[in-house]
Amino acid sequence: MPGRTHLIALLSFLALHVTKGRAGSFEHTQALLTKYCTACHGGKASAGGFNLTGLTSPESLQVKQTEWNRLLTRVRNSEMPPKGSPAPALDDRQDMVAWLETTLRRNACAAGFVPGAWPMRRLNRDEYSATIRDLLDVQVDAAHGLPADGAGGEGFDNAAETLFISPIHAEKYLEAAKEALDFGAKDPKSRKTFLLAVPGKDIMPEQAAAKTVEAFLPRAFRRPARPGEADRYLALFRNAQKRGETFDHSVLLALNAILISPEFLFHHEDANTSADPVLANDYAMASRLSYFLWGSMPDRALFDLAAAGKLQEPAVLQAQLERMLKDGKSREFAERFVSQWLGTRELGRDIKPDEKLFPDYYDAETQGAIRYEPVLFFQEILATNLSLLNLIDSKFSLLTNKTAKLYGLKIKEANQQPKVLEFPADSHRGGVLGMAAVLAVSSYPQRTSPVLRGKWILEYLLGTPPPPPPPNVPALKDNHAGAPAATLRERLELHRADPTCATCHNRIDPLGFALENYDVLGRWRTEEEGKPVDASGQLPDGTKINGADDLKKALLARKDVIIRNLTSKMLGYALGRGLTLSDSCTVDQIAARVAQENYSAQTLIRGIVMSVPFRYQPGTIANTAVKEVH
Amino acid sequence: MSRALMSRNPKISRRTVLRGAGVTLALPWLEAMLPAATSHAPKLPVRMAILYMPNGVREDMWTPAETGRDFTLPPTLEPLQDFRGDLNVLTNLWNVAAKGGDGHYVKTGGYLTSTTISKTLGVDVNCQGVSMDQMAARAAGPVTPLPSIELGTAPVTTGVDTNVGYTRVYGSHIAWSGPTQPVAKEIDPRNVYERLFRACNPSKVTGREDVLLLDQVRDDAARLRQELGTADRHRLDEYMSVVRDLETRLERAGNNTGKTHWKPRARLDSAVKPEAMPEKHAEHVRLMLDMIALAFQTDSTRIATFMFGNAVSNEDFTFVDGVKGAHHSISHHQNDPEKMRQYQLINRWHVEQYAYLLRKLREMKEGDSNVLANSMIVLGAGMRDGNKHDPHNLPVVVTGGAGGRLVTGQHLMHTPDTPLANLWMTMLDAFGTPVPRFADSTGVVPGMLRA
Repeated sequence: MPGRTHLIALLSFLALHVTKGRAGSFEHTQALLTKYCTACHGGKASAGGFNLTGLTSPESLQVKQTEWNRLLTRVRNSEMPPKGSPAPALDDRQDMVAWLETTLRRNACAAGFVPGAWPMRRLNRDEYSATIRDLLDVQVDAAHGLPADGAGGEGFDNAAETLFISPIHAEKYLEAAKEALDFGAKDPKSRKTFLLAVPGKDIMPEQAAAKTVEAFLPRAFRRPARPGEADRYLALFRNAQKRGETFDHSVLLALNAILISPEFLFHHEDANTSADPVLANDYAMASRLSYFLWGSMPDRALFDLAAAGKLQEPAVLQAQLERMLKDGKSREFAERFVSQWLGTRELGRDIKPDEKLFPDYYDAETQGAIRYEPVLFFQEILATNLSLLNLIDSKFSLLTNKTAKLYGLKIKEANQQPKVLEFPADSHRGGVLGMAAVLAVSSYPQRTSPVLRGKWILEYLLGTPPPPPPPNVPALKDNHAGAPAATLRERLELHRADPTCATCHNRIDPLGFALENYDVLGRWRTEEEGKPVDASGQLPDGTKINGADDLKKALLARKDVIIRNLTSKMLGYALGRGLTLSDSCTVDQIAARVAQENYSAQTLIRGIVMSVPFRYQPGTIANTAVKEVH
Repeated sequence: MSRALMSRNPKISRRTVLRGAGVTLALPWLEAMLPAATSHAPKLPVRMAILYMPNGVREDMWTPAETGRDFTLPPTLEPLQDFRGDLNVLTNLWNVAAKGGDGHYVKTGGYLTSTTISKTLGVDVNCQGVSMDQMAARAAGPVTPLPSIELGTAPVTTGVDTNVGYTRVYGSHIAWSGPTQPVAKEIDPRNVYERLFRACNPSKVTGREDVLLLDQVRDDAARLRQELGTADRHRLDEYMSVVRDLETRLERAGNNTGKTHWKPRARLDSAVKPEAMPEKHAEHVRLMLDMIALAFQTDSTRIATFMFGNAVSNEDFTFVDGVKGAHHSISHHQNDPEKMRQYQLINRWHVEQYAYLLRKLREMKEGDSNVLANSMIVLGAGMRDGNKHDPHNLPVVVTGGAGGRLVTGQHLMHTPDTPLANLWMTMLDAFGTPVPRFADSTGVVPGMLRA
């Protein structure tokens, strides 16, 4: 397996270590701490209230996990040692960080699986839109006026920590609910879904309103109504009736109040008041599942299973996730997850190919096909339970006649509708690295960038983002007037001649150069500006690769790193929060299972759904592990 | 009877009832920090707007060579020739709190707070302060239908920046109503227009019903709150706080309480209703600036912030003659003369847009003067040279006399590294909401406030 050797070295380092002790060991870490940290944090010195005296024994890694974690975060973020103080070489720092992470994780996992908090968070913009759509059966985007949500945690806009509330939310929720209800009340199909009765011979207005509100409330709040709860909203109905308003107007007012209630707008679960973690209740589970795999409220079947108390049964969960992944609504999961994981959501926002240089991108059908390719590809992998390694390399993609043409492929079956199509031989395609969306989002608007593409692979696929350039990066010295214009490759080689730059760029640049046969839009090219494209490069261990096919082989040799990264991203998305150290035990467990089961996509989904953080609710004592996983 | 309806009883103030229910609606530390509104405010309303430019400026083309009243506008500021008498160019200000950290986020999230934001991917977002505009809005109280407007052209940048360890939320917000509360921007000019329209034309009927609905929300929230832990309560309180503010506004608009009698100072013409989300950046910016002008002219609000782009914006600027690339890429010019030339063209384009807004405001007559004369409009950036992410000597211009409160027509040279907070403090004073101190401020800007 030729790929394996170079890739093992791909992310490790060549520089000489300045301290004693095997790179990444207890001794190595202690040597670094003694050399760089104890002056301020040793003996009687406790700068920032932090002292290393208690952290000199191997046992401290067990009993002082909090302190070690604090240290790890500061060192990993390059916040310590502070600017201006002597600091370890990048390689030493990263070896220490990697070793500490592994060790602390192993220690944390020894205690068992701990469910993290399931914090109250509002529906994000997309969830709000989809929930209103499903609740009222209306085809309007009720969220059109809401501001976009920022991302936190693992990089997704459903992270509890960054779902802030601004004044504009109050205004928009009020308006959006009113608009959607008015719209729904006028549409016969929608009306039937939520306005269940009108007053008539056999039914008084009050009863008719009660029937509607009582049925609406549990769906909107995604749990059974509490005693007397419906009556609080019916008070608004009665009040409007007294003022002489029509029946419709009065009942819509009650529904409107439900739609701006925090119980509708927020994900919120009944508190667990016991000391130990417990299985989340069935209604909570219904919502956890549906917002994970559909980005919307539970449907009738999920509510029914919750009512029957069956949603924590493994066989039921398995059947449900298979059903849910086949449902068209899983497109929303694929879209939100993939476009944020791979960063392709920025395409057309902050990242747009230059209109003059790349007019092809500005054909509406082409643009749509480009943007949706990774999404539909991912959805296909999930729904038909294919290997996740297809993400790295595949024999097919979801193509239209436009993308087929863009990629220079002669495929007769390609038409306007995206569909699963096999690549012809020597197509140079397969996996996300051959997709226009990915290649464009890792380019500048005018030209490709091996640096951006290399960084994209390290960050998005491998989950090992390079650190930012050090301050005072020397300018590239190739721009004297009269000097012959140097190629990008020559300029980057100059750059790498500088040892400060070399440590990272030796890792970044060769990965990106391997993709140079793709232009900004991902079109295959063998020449650029009259010169042959040079897609060769040398990985840090000296191994040579040339072109995308070599690169993909190399990445396949690192498949477990990529799958682990994908697992932690998806777990973060599913939980709607950033992951903690104890969550990484869950990630390890799921990633190992995925590898055992031939990287099958549904193993990943099942692993997440069956995991302790996804199914349990923490108790009142923080960091308590689940004693016996059900 | 539900409390929502009971609270319509004039003898029992709803606010008293809610306070009794243990609902904290304002954070005590914020109250303590708030400046008091002064009584000797000028007769015509004073407005303030802050226009934020991402990615810094080309330094050798920004700063006038001479100081005082007799100075020549440098190439980048040339579009302000018409406003020479109305402006203050300030040199050598900086935000010490933004000197460390990374290239962009620290210099954006903390721009109007003069604080150092906490490094985080999201878990504990904290900008460590309240932005100057939000402080002014709080202190001025609900004198206008909208306390402030926050505008931009780009949605929150997606994802987290794992290279530098910050959530991109920081780079997408300059307005913070509290340390953990970035204020979301409106980016669709049509939505802004509709918001202004509703502010200027409140419907008594729907207004009354909305108040009833919001009452119900607060009732729900008060119940729910009892079931929640501290962290979750904080989130719920955020929602309750914005609900309460909206309710107050609606009540005043419906004139139920009769405390103030706000009237639009100009009619909002429906002919100026803008298109929704224009494709072209230049047009998008113009429409958003139009909305600021309309908001100020009608007096729908007196405070606006506008972000031309988020931090690290890589907006394609090839629409500007002579520019061949995108903003952030060009800002890293590496001293390449060609890139520096293009960088300056982009900077100048921003100044032209600023001048467009100034012109519009000046054309809006108000008594014997005009809206610009009663405003303070800032154009600035969180860094100087974008290539170096330089935090020193930030580019900043303020135009408008704040209804005579400000001396204008000068280039004010400070000692290097004078706090930018001094300018924010000066503006808070001119706005009629003085503070004894703002972040690291050392006093007001000498020679700017009229005695």
